[in-house]
This record gives sequence, C-alpha cells and structure tokens, in this order.
Amino acid sequence: MFALVDVNNMYVSCERVFRPSLIGRPVVVLSNNDGACIARSNEAKDLGVRMAQPWFEVRHLERSAGLIALSANFELYGDMSSRMMSLAAEFAPRQQIYSIDECFLDFDGVPGDLRAIGRELRSKVLGWTGLPTSVGFGPTKTLAKLANHVAKMADRKPGSYPAELAQVCNFGLLSPEQLAAVMRTTEVGNVWGIGRKTTAKLNQGGIHNVQDLVQADAAALGRQFSIVVERTIQELRGTPCMGVEDAPEANQQIMCSRSFGTPVTDLPAMTEVLSQFATQVARKLRDQRSVAGAVHVFITTSPYRRNDAQHSPSATLPLGRPSDDTRVLISAAVRALRSVFKPGFNYVKAGVMLADLQQSEPSAPGLAQQSTLDLFDPEPEPESQAQAPQRNRTELMNTMDALNLRFGRDAVTVASAGRRSGPSAHASKQDRRSPRYTTRLDEIVTARA
Amino acid sequence: MLRDRPTADASAPRTSVAISFGSPASESGITRLDLNEILIQHPQAAFLMRVSGSSMQAAGVEDGDLALIDRGMEATHGRIVIAIVNDEFICRRLHRRGSDVRLQATDPACADWVAGEGEELQIWGVVTHVIRPLAG
Repeated sequence: MFALVDVNNMYVSCERVFRPSLIGRPVVVLSNNDGACIARSNEAKDLGVRMAQPWFEVRHLERSAGLIALSANFELYGDMSSRMMSLAAEFAPRQQIYSIDECFLDFDGVPGDLRAIGRELRSKVLGWTGLPTSVGFGPTKTLAKLANHVAKMADRKPGSYPAELAQVCNFGLLSPEQLAAVMRTTEVGNVWGIGRKTTAKLNQGGIHNVQDLVQADAAALGRQFSIVVERTIQELRGTPCMGVEDAPEANQQIMCSRSFGTPVTDLPAMTEVLSQFATQVARKLRDQRSVAGAVHVFITTSPYRRNDAQHSPSATLPLGRPSDDTRVLISAAVRALRSVFKPGFNYVKAGVMLADLQQSEPSAPGLAQQSTLDLFDPEPEPESQAQAPQRNRTELMNTMDALNLRFGRDAVTVASAGRRSGPSAHASKQDRRSPRYTTRLDEIVTARA
Repeated sequence: MLRDRPTADASAPRTSVAISFGSPASESGITRLDLNEILIQHPQAAFLMRVSGSSMQAAGVEDGDLALIDRGMEATHGRIVIAIVNDEFICRRLHRRGSDVRLQATDPACADWVAGEGEELQIWGVVTHVIRPLAG
C-alpha cells in the first residue's frame, strides 16, 4: 500500500503556527513580487479566491471580507517542510518526497492497521510541528492521491463523503461498492494526472466522475489522449504502474533527487552533485518557460545504516528575483547546501527542488525570454548577446549546462560570483512577508512572561 | 526486506576525492560534544522563542532569555509552557490537577489564567531550557 501525506494549505498553515491570530480567518500567500495567490486558507477558498489568481483581482476582499495577504516566506516553509518530511519518514520503510508539502510512503510489507498508523502520523506531525495533514492510502499511487483528496474534502466539507473518511482515508478498507460510490461522487478532474484540458474533453465524451473513467475503455482513451491517461486508468483499477521513485512532476514545482550508490561525505562532492541537479531542474524550468522564486535543497543520511550518525537537513533560499538561469539556481542551491552541510556524515540522498514557479514574462518577439539577460542580470552579458534571440540564449545556457556538468565546482564559482551584485541588490517586493521564525535568530517569536 | 536500497546511478559523485580529516563519527565512534544533541530531544519539534517580561523569574526564566521549546514533550503538571492566550504567546507554569487547569506566573501580582466559558487551553510547547549569556 502507498500513502500520500500532504499538509493542508501548507503555506498558510506554516504562517498560522507562528501567528495564531490568522487561525479561522481568510488568508492567502502571494507569490514572489506579491503577484498571485499561491496558497489559500479554506476561508479564502470559501470567499472564491482561486488558485494562482492575480492579487489585484481579489485585493478588494481585504476591506470587504477581512482577507489577509502575506508575501511568501519560503525559508519558513522549507524548514517546516523538512520537519514534516522527516517525521513522516519514520512511519514507513520508503519515502518519496514529492513536493514541498507532500510525500508518498510505501507501506509494502508493513503489518498492522494502516488507518491507525495514518492517524498516529497525522497526530504526531500536528503535535510536533503544528501542521495539519491529510493522509490517503491506496494500492497504487494514483489511488493514494485520490484517497488523500477524499480525506481532505471529507474534513473540509462535512457531508461530501462519509465522515469516517475525513483526515485519514484508507481505500483498502472500503468494499468494492463503497469505493465505487466514492468514485461516483468525485469529479474526474480531481484525479492525479488528469489536467484541465483532458477533463474538458473527457466531460464531452460523457466521462464526468472517477467511476466513469474507471469503467471506460482504457486502451481507447490511451489512443485518444496519451499513455499517461491509460496508465492512470490502470492505477485507478488497482494495478500499479508507478514505482516509489516514479511519478509525474508535481504542479508548481520542479525537482531532481537521487539516491547514491556510495554515500557522499564531503562538501565538494555534494556541491558537485547538487550543481548537476540544479542544472537539470534549470533545464526543465526553461523547457516549460517558467521562472522559479525559490530553491529548496535537501540532503539525507540513511536511517537504515544504523551505525551512522543521522543528519537530514534542508534549506530553502528565496531568490531576489525569479529566475530560470542555471547560474543563479546553482548559486542558490550551493549557498543553501553550505548553510546546512556538516562533514562526517554519510549522505545517501539529495535533491534540489524549485518552488514558486511562474511563467516567464512574455516579451517582444525577437527578444523572447530576454528576462535573464536584462539589465538586472547578475552577470551582464555583452550587448550583442543580450539582444540575441532565444536560440543564442539557449545555446548560452546549454554551454553553461555542459560546463556545469563537466566542471561542477568551477561553474559554481562563476555562478556564485554573480550574486554579489545580483539578487540582493534588486530584492523583490515582499512587503507582507512574515518573520523567518525558524531560520533567523533575530526574527524569532517573542513570548510574554 | 524493507530496506531502502540506494540505487547506483550516474549522478553519484564520480571522482571527487577531498583531503580531509575524515569522518570522526564513522571511523572512531568519538565525536565532539554537540549542544544540539545535549539540549534537543526532538529535533523536528524544537523551536526557539525570545522571552519578554519578568513574571517567570522565580522559575528561572528571565526577561530576554532565549527559550528552547519542545513541542514533542507532553505538557504535564508543573512544566513551564508556551501557551496561546488572546492570540499571543505567553510563558507560564502549567498547573494541571484533575479539572483544575490553569496557567500560573511566578510573580504573585500576576493573576492565573483559567479557561473561560467556551475557551480551551492551547499549549504551543514545553520550555525545556533557557539560554542566557553571562558574558559579552
């Protein structure tokens, strides 16, 4: 069985841990430069605020409905994420961190009452970190994800599903009839991997709820859409098509992580590994024409190497200005790494995650994707290149990527050199950012005595 | 059978050989004392807060102290806790005897907090240590 554990409204929940006055009130967290709503409390959702909705469209709710908007505080979210992830990891033999606020746990071979284990996990994470989670169990990742959705909705909207499925939902405990009933009440767009466009087309074809999809002709839909849709249907029927380290990219996030055959123990080697990861995520980022506002790095020792001292830190570095530049992303990843790395530990896994993704700013034809080669670039390019079309810029980045791969450490030096005059000099607008309660000593909470 | 087997792959570091003093942890089993290990029982539940005010002096909590808080520790009778009262964090001693639950300051001039109608005691965490510089 797989479990999907995720934090309810992660960013808002992190803020609430340290600012109790936000509890029960409509809260949104805004992306870099306070542009769009990237997290919403349930109260804000009830006000009709949509995911990724531009802030100016809902700003009037500040006065009329008491909506509170905060600038994203990725240092805080990253730290709280690593606390939650490391607690969740204690409950199952294998964990796949899927995004900053969700992970899959593989309970294969674990005896006992999984729902009870799920409740214990939820209660421990809530108690130790203050973060509320939802836990969904299913025989495939797609079903675990769906069970998680049910757990969350049953809690948030009582009556939407049977009350016993709230917070922790184990599909494995449902009879086939009960499971079919749950699937009939769930719209097909809530299935993992079924996007908005596919949903619209499926609806046109008469497929509205999950049960419709389960009973559809998988091969035919596979031909009509993609192998992904076909696999999704197989997974919904209970046939695993995805292993524990194998999943489509989470929305709003790009990640690269690997386990190592041989533990990494020293900073130069880890720097090289993370530089490679940063290079890969930068490429993915550019492929989807996005920029990232924050870089999250994690390194972990193995709890299964019992004689090893354990150290599994992570750090998140917000970028001064969202970027898709390999150099900027490597530099941030390496800085984050240096802030948490301790020599002498056997690290067996590491990852680089990009968060706060946004579309690159559209620019004039011929100057497409110019944004990383503009005046504010930490490493200004010669004018001819700055005005070069997309192709040249991509070549620059590809060359950069190749150099990084080949000379990890040296490339890092280049990138790091850029930051002195870079992000800090052009810090993004973050008027409403809360204190970085857990990563800066001068920003911790004050308790009255 | 449940071991997480790290898979060998191309992204493992290839040739980095750094000269260092090695890993004291893995080679000799001897490591320098680490305050984190001494002071922090539950790393994922450990938080710091700054104390402001003098109503807990008799319990050893001074104005300006750094309070180390463990959210993973049970808030039992007599422990110093951080509680949420009126949306604010306050540091008090927890008195919990049957249904008699109150938050007490050591300063007798400070009234006890007792849950009012419809109110519930909200404990944020247990203060396990205070850190206070004695020099420079």
